[in-house]
Amino acid sequence: MTALELRELRKTYRSRGRPAVEAVRGLDLGLRSGELLGLLGPSGCGKSTTLRMIAGLESVTGGDILVGGASVTGRPAQERNIGVAFENYALYPPLTVAENLAFGLRARRRSLRGDVRRKVAEIAERVGLTDVLDARPAGLSSGQKQRVSLARALIREPDVLLLDEPLSHLDAAQRDTTRRELKRIQRDLGHTTILVTHDQEEALSLADRIAVMRDGVIQQLGTPYEIYDSPATSFVADFVGEPAINLLPGTATADGHVRLSAGVRIALPVPVAEGRAVVVGIRPEDLSLTGDGGIPARVVAHEPLLESGIATLALDGVERHLVVLTGPEVRLAHDERVRVAAGLTHVFDAETGDTLR
Amino acid sequence: MKRRLVGRLADAALILYFLFALFPIAWMVLLSLKPADQLFSTYFSFTPTLDSYRTVLGDSEGIPFVRFFVNSLVVSVGAVALSLVVGLPAAYASARWRFRGSENLMFTLLSFRFAPELTVIIPLFVLYQKLGLFDTYVGMVWVLQLVTLPLVVWIMRSYFTDLTPELEQAALLDGYSRKQAFFRVALPLVKPGIAAVSLLAFIFAWNNFVFPLILTSSSAQTVTVGALSFLGGDRPKYNLTAAAALVSVVPPLLLALTIQRYLVRGLSFGAVKS
Repeated sequence: MTALELRELRKTYRSRGRPAVEAVRGLDLGLRSGELLGLLGPSGCGKSTTLRMIAGLESVTGGDILVGGASVTGRPAQERNIGVAFENYALYPPLTVAENLAFGLRARRRSLRGDVRRKVAEIAERVGLTDVLDARPAGLSSGQKQRVSLARALIREPDVLLLDEPLSHLDAAQRDTTRRELKRIQRDLGHTTILVTHDQEEALSLADRIAVMRDGVIQQLGTPYEIYDSPATSFVADFVGEPAINLLPGTATADGHVRLSAGVRIALPVPVAEGRAVVVGIRPEDLSLTGDGGIPARVVAHEPLLESGIATLALDGVERHLVVLTGPEVRLAHDERVRVAAGLTHVFDAETGDTLR
Repeated sequence: MKRRLVGRLADAALILYFLFALFPIAWMVLLSLKPADQLFSTYFSFTPTLDSYRTVLGDSEGIPFVRFFVNSLVVSVGAVALSLVVGLPAAYASARWRFRGSENLMFTLLSFRFAPELTVIIPLFVLYQKLGLFDTYVGMVWVLQLVTLPLVVWIMRSYFTDLTPELEQAALLDGYSRKQAFFRVALPLVKPGIAAVSLLAFIFAWNNFVFPLILTSSSAQTVTVGALSFLGGDRPKYNLTAAAALVSVVPPLLLALTIQRYLVRGLSFGAVKS
């Protein structure tokens, strides 16, 4: 069953004397019930605008939003039953945690007093806030504030849960624990969820499916593996993966290779017409240093990361450097040979950035 | 050693400034305590008496000072209350929404404070005469909006702007109406601002001189004009004027002292991530 559906959703900002800005242009998206979808993209790609339109905090220029099969476009936020955990938490400072959680339940006045107390205790137990129910937001850590914000969104049992950059204000240690918590809670309660983030790691680790957005358009929608293994465009390839994929421009040759420079050629995974300008994408983890065979290269920088390392290599006559995931020990300024793992090369059209298949 | 010397010098400078600033008030106090026949003595020894205060508050000399005092309270409180009722929603709206002409509207409000009051007072006088607003509470409360409303709107606008809109949006998603979000979420968070701006507006309204001077004659006259009536007559009674002026400082002073803790408290501490 489709819990949330976006049809041809558009948002255009118009202001007098300035050109109209198309923030979201024709988004189509469907979420199965209980699914967690990551909306991933750089800042300004329209992902937050999309979230705000779903929540009813932003008007819709065109298209339709359906929750549980019924259109909610044009309905005010109050009537949509959508829970949002805001990026800045937006907790009411004069109220305690318990009061913050109860505040939302009181709005509709259908809950009895004892009922409210029971629900607050229940959700606090779920997200691990029982000890701080009487504290005020100012006295909480960012991780706790995040959980209060999440609990407040969940307590009303929303049809759809929207998480806006839930981990971006946490430090590294809290981020890891909160991420696991988030995944557990979402699985437990089974809410249909959209996670908006610019952090690929967050999206990859939490989402069932990821939609990569750019300039108001979804570039690719798929499982984390699909996004990683077969990116639809060079933008998606570049945005997902750490360290970032190597993108090297070159020209296709008659014998199924791409020429990066006079002396450097790499085999192409698919046949490409001779002379066509392409961009080759190779992930740092699909490259390895070898004693013999492969392409000659020179190590210009190396970052040791305990169990592994990242080496930056210069190829003969190629302008861009090549980043390779290596073992912990690499000798600087040393001549090496680098080998490309077979079948894991991506090739994109130089003009459009689309994957050539 | 050196730091202590600097500290001492700073203290001395502060004391000097203190004396300089308080001298006119001390002079007034002395004046108000002098008996009428020693008013113009140039030496500082005199027999202190509270006669001036008795005269002023006892409504003798045919000048109803207590009445003026009450008038001042009524029109100042009235002006502030009306400004809050009208100004808080206006400030909120202009902080949250850009609508056509919103900036012009805000500027127009501010421009009320540019022009000297004397430029509008003659037409206002004629209008007030015709409309029957002359020398009435309603008329005074209304005209004092020129003073208090811009203050309330502009100061409260910045308080509302500092408030992150997500607070109200969270309330909307919970099912609260726009009105409830304003009253139950936004308004309680700007309480310190409301206290501060009310005090400021009250002082401005209380101290206003030109409007009551021209637009009232007796029944709605305020202390600022009323205190001067003691200077009229055959002989200016400076001791009575001084006593009246000092009495009229009391309400703003009391208000300032009681409201002080609101003035310094943080606005929405802990509302968002710091």
